[in-house]
Amino acid sequence: MIYVKHLKKSFGENTVLESIDFSVQKGEVVCLIGASGSGKTTLLRCLNLLELPNYGSITIGDQAVNFSGKKLEKKELKELRKYSGMVFQGFHLFPHKTVIENIIEAPLIVQRRKRDSLVIEGEKLLKKVGMFEHKDKYPDSLSGGQQQRAAIARSLMMNPEVLLFDEPTSALDPQLVREVLRVIEALAKEGQTMVIVTHEMNFAKRVADKVFFMDEGYIVESGNAKDVLETPKKQRTKEFLQLLSE
Amino acid sequence: MIEWFKNIQWEHLYDPQLAWDSLPFLLDAAKITIFIALISMFFALILGLFLAMARMSNFWFLRWPARIYISFMRGTPLLVFLFILYYGLPVIGIQFDSPITAGIVGISLNFAAYNAEVIRSALMSVSRGQWESAAALQMGYWQTMRRIIIPQATRIALPPTFNIFLDVVKGTSLASVITVHELLYGAHLIAGRTYESMTMYITAALIYWVICIIIGHFQERLEKRYNRYLNKT
Ligand SMILES: Nc1ncnc2c1ncn2[C@@H]1O[C@H](COP(=O)(O)OP(=O)(O)OP(=O)(O)O)[C@@H](O)[C@H]1O
Ligand SMILES: [Mg+2]
Repeated sequence: MIYVKHLKKSFGENTVLESIDFSVQKGEVVCLIGASGSGKTTLLRCLNLLELPNYGSITIGDQAVNFSGKKLEKKELKELRKYSGMVFQGFHLFPHKTVIENIIEAPLIVQRRKRDSLVIEGEKLLKKVGMFEHKDKYPDSLSGGQQQRAAIARSLMMNPEVLLFDEPTSALDPQLVREVLRVIEALAKEGQTMVIVTHEMNFAKRVADKVFFMDEGYIVESGNAKDVLETPKKQRTKEFLQLLSE
Repeated sequence: MIEWFKNIQWEHLYDPQLAWDSLPFLLDAAKITIFIALISMFFALILGLFLAMARMSNFWFLRWPARIYISFMRGTPLLVFLFILYYGLPVIGIQFDSPITAGIVGISLNFAAYNAEVIRSALMSVSRGQWESAAALQMGYWQTMRRIIIPQATRIALPPTFNIFLDVVKGTSLASVITVHELLYGAHLIAGRTYESMTMYITAALIYWVICIIIGHFQERLEKRYNRYLNKT
């Protein structure tokens, strides 16, 4: 489903991703962990092309893009982006649109689909994330947990092969975290392929098939969630998990 | 002090009868004022939008001309600019078909610069997260601009834009100097004939005031509509 090879990304002098290699199979849930500043967000943003990598290649679904050297074709990038959806730490719902308008906006405008059928589909999806009764409210009048669930539904409306989450609960009050994690767990059960940046290790244990540990621009350790989280092999992983549990 | 007060000629301060009799004439002139203001603001908004986008462009050959244009228009009096258009340009063979056209062109070009600054800061005040979440949903630049950014920027730009509109309405009075037959020009005509300057100019002022009150009313209604998604708690 996802193949990443030798991916490199720098901001000016600062090389954030040195060389990233990994693959994710269809239906897998991968949790991306690592210290602050290790490049997790940057990697996720590269997958969604919110940042352009400097080197390497990304394949998602049927689209492969090579970032090394030659000029990039806009069409290729557009095509690659179709395969992934992004859920942000700060939700970023459109504040001037109600929940239902938020989630039908992109299919309506980008895919030019019919409003009526989109509303039906959108309402079904809102029921699934427990947001149906709030469908006509504006984001500003919702809690963070509600906004994040709406944002997840908004991404799902585009039917992405892969859903990318960047710390989906770290902007939330503690009592709102669970309702969002439950939605993500339900998606995992349905076989939705996901890459999730998270600091919630218990959640990672429950939901992840694989865990990638990032450090200084590399994926230092990867493997089955249980193995990496409970019996890490690398020293850096041990230190990181040790710090978290203190 | 008291002497001065005693000598005031009250009958010349305000002559309601004259004001009433000249009202139809003045209201006709006010129509010209409103006409010029509406058309000028319309063009000033469109030109302002393009100037704002040029000013934010990645290309220096768009950014710099826009910058210089805005700086010049904001840094020179409208009246001087109208003189240049109406009395200056004929020297090089460019003549407007009527003073009104010259007035509209001058006011539009001048106020576009103010609109550009308001539009630019409103567009920039929409958070980057809005651009990014739209991009992640595969929306293109113009789709995002039209559906996501401009509607949010409009709410922010509304109050300052209406301030500019009021300035435009009042600014049209400068066109009287290049013989446009608008409200101030009309009041001036009657004042010259009747010597009741105070009455005529106060009446003109009151009419400007009423126009601006009506505009303020529109502003309130529009703001309400655009603010409905804000949670006031
Ligand atoms: N747009 C940018 N311009 C310049 N530097 C950036 C940019 N985005 C990220 N960086 C740098 O890249 C490095 C990695 O940042 P990134 O946000 O990917 O880390 P992270 O692992 O997500 O950290 P956190 O856990 O705090 O979210 C940081 O040193 C940051 O300063
Ligand atoms: Mg991050």
